[in-house]
Amino acid sequence: MNRIPIVLKSEFKRRVTSKGFILTTLLGPIGILVFFGIIILISAEAVDSDSRTIAVVDDTNVLLEHMLNLQSVDHRFTPVDAPLDTVRAQTLAGVYDGYLHLPAGLLTDEASPEYYSPEGGGFSLANDLEYRIGHALRQHRIGEHNLSPEVLKSLDTNVSLGLMKLTDDGEEAGASWVYSALGGFMGFLIYMTMLIYGTVVLYGVIEEKSTRVVEIMISSIRPFELLMGKVLGIGLMGLVQLTVWALLMMGGLALAGVVAGMFLDPSTLGVPATASSQELLAAADITLPNVSVDVFVWFVLFFLVGYLLYAGLFAAVGSMVEQQQDTQGLLLPVMMPIIVSIMFISPVLENPHSSLAVILSLIPFTAPVPMVVRLAVTEVPLWEVLLSFSLLCAGFVATIWVSSRIYRVGILMYGKKATLKDLIRWFRYA
Amino acid sequence: MPILTIDTVTKRYGKFTAVDKASFEARPGRILGLLGPNGAGKTSTIRMIANITAADEGEIRLDEKPVGPWVQRHLGYLPEERGLYKKLKVSEQLLYFAQLRGLRRDDATGRIRHWLKRFDMEKWAASKTQELSKGMQQKIQFISTILPDPDLLILDEPFSGLDPINSELLRDIILEQKDAGRTILFASHRMEQVEQLCDDICLIAEGRILVHGSLRDIKNSFGRDSINLEFEGDGAFLDPFVSSGQIRITSRTHHSAEIRLLNGAPARNILEAAVNHTDALYRYELVMPSLSEIFISLVEGKSAA
Repeated sequence: MNRIPIVLKSEFKRRVTSKGFILTTLLGPIGILVFFGIIILISAEAVDSDSRTIAVVDDTNVLLEHMLNLQSVDHRFTPVDAPLDTVRAQTLAGVYDGYLHLPAGLLTDEASPEYYSPEGGGFSLANDLEYRIGHALRQHRIGEHNLSPEVLKSLDTNVSLGLMKLTDDGEEAGASWVYSALGGFMGFLIYMTMLIYGTVVLYGVIEEKSTRVVEIMISSIRPFELLMGKVLGIGLMGLVQLTVWALLMMGGLALAGVVAGMFLDPSTLGVPATASSQELLAAADITLPNVSVDVFVWFVLFFLVGYLLYAGLFAAVGSMVEQQQDTQGLLLPVMMPIIVSIMFISPVLENPHSSLAVILSLIPFTAPVPMVVRLAVTEVPLWEVLLSFSLLCAGFVATIWVSSRIYRVGILMYGKKATLKDLIRWFRYA
Repeated sequence: MPILTIDTVTKRYGKFTAVDKASFEARPGRILGLLGPNGAGKTSTIRMIANITAADEGEIRLDEKPVGPWVQRHLGYLPEERGLYKKLKVSEQLLYFAQLRGLRRDDATGRIRHWLKRFDMEKWAASKTQELSKGMQQKIQFISTILPDPDLLILDEPFSGLDPINSELLRDIILEQKDAGRTILFASHRMEQVEQLCDDICLIAEGRILVHGSLRDIKNSFGRDSINLEFEGDGAFLDPFVSSGQIRITSRTHHSAEIRLLNGAPARNILEAAVNHTDALYRYELVMPSLSEIFISLVEGKSAA
């Protein structure tokens, strides 16, 4: 008789009914929003603190005016009419963050502008200043030719590159960055959930071992049944949690759409006042990504098998120790591949067809994160997805076999920490 | 009802031999006491019987069938190291263990009610296990062991942590099980309990069986070589016997001593000395050695050899 379902049911029920689970499931999305909100706030704050007060000594007498015409959020330019030595002293005294010298010869290309500051400036500041001075110089030279305002206006262009995603259906869907964001989010989610649920398995195994309940369990069922029941039960718990999160977030997005629609004025967008919020959003050029169902199906599949693969390994680690503190050294090698896969998430996002991306998504231990990212941002050939998934499944079968052999011996071992030699010995036990 | 046969079984962990060609038998309707010092191989033996580990050599049979995963359906095992899921309610816990051992839900709930009542634990059924005292957890553990009516009961130190009233209740239940024809394996260090309960004993040390047989036969084979004394006065008269290696004092107070005769020393020498050197002699009794005395002399004889 197979008792995996009994273990599965008990493990699942025990966890899903716990207060911690209910809280994290309902509050998780809020937590994620707060998390990203804080990141955005911090980055905004970081940009703010970057703003400088720059003294400008304009020997040309014409360029500063044009520079000031360009809006700047980052820096405040203060015209200074004093000898350079004085400005230098003031800058060193901290009155200005730096000073810019525009020599008179600049207008005739006989001299270069120079920027002085105690901190030496940075790459982006240099870019910004070069752009402003170049712009001012251009404006000045155009002005010298007495061009008509029409010509000036026609010269004033503002190009914004639209990135479109081309799919087999021939559809040009919304902005590509939305897909990148989605891909990054899904990759991050699969990484987080594999680690979190893997850790739940780890602690479950350690708890059974340290409370000694495991000896009773395996006098009733085979260790493999206990291992699989536990891993599957916690996996099911994870799936329920992810589903609730997905529903909450979809609901939240729909609600956000309606709310946004209420704040948009139909008349300025050129649509009838009776237009639905969706039509309004479309007219305002706010598009939600049109992601095919396949991507979500693959996400669930790669999450499940990836989780199973790591859960088996985490369980093996758990069986080797008696306390949570003892896991650290053992967990690192197990978690290394998954950390590697998340480290490479941005190269994969930028170039989802690079050989790095393909290789990472074929190695079972690193496959789930890059594969989900690639599926979200680009078209991956079906054979490649299937090959990656088959290898992942094969990897799972191999690791669960190794893990269960270590597990069944490890859970009965007390008193000393297992060494690699012990592991090999356990593995060989009949 | 099953006979449990351990047939020249050996178990090694790496280079360490935990059980060395052990053979013994446990019979239905009898209680076999499995005795041995710490690290003697008791737990290793029990784990092989419960099919938790496998024997390297030899065979373990229940009713002449070699043990395998099937044996766990016939087995109730109470390990020495107790363990329960702390967060589960008592009734959930018992139901989980019962279902794992093949009981149907409705069948199990009836039995759980019966046994909780028997142990006077009904009102705790909905409590979380971690809220229970150690003794109560002990009782829950025993209930889970006995719940599916196993043919073979393996009880490792079942009385530890129980107060006298509950110990007596547990003893009654174990004896009931014995009368119902179950085969019972009782592992313990508590010699007086073993002596009270067991029909047969099996003594293990360093993985080998030192003695195996019925308790009475084993005691008889040692003969009446022990003396219980009660007296008034100075007990120093015994010391020369000790230093000359004629006796060993196994327990001694101001007014009493339990003595074991060694190397065929005549019992009457002690009697004469007692009469001559004590103010009053209340008791002189020539008896068979206690089980703990047998245990000590066998284990020490083994390590001396």
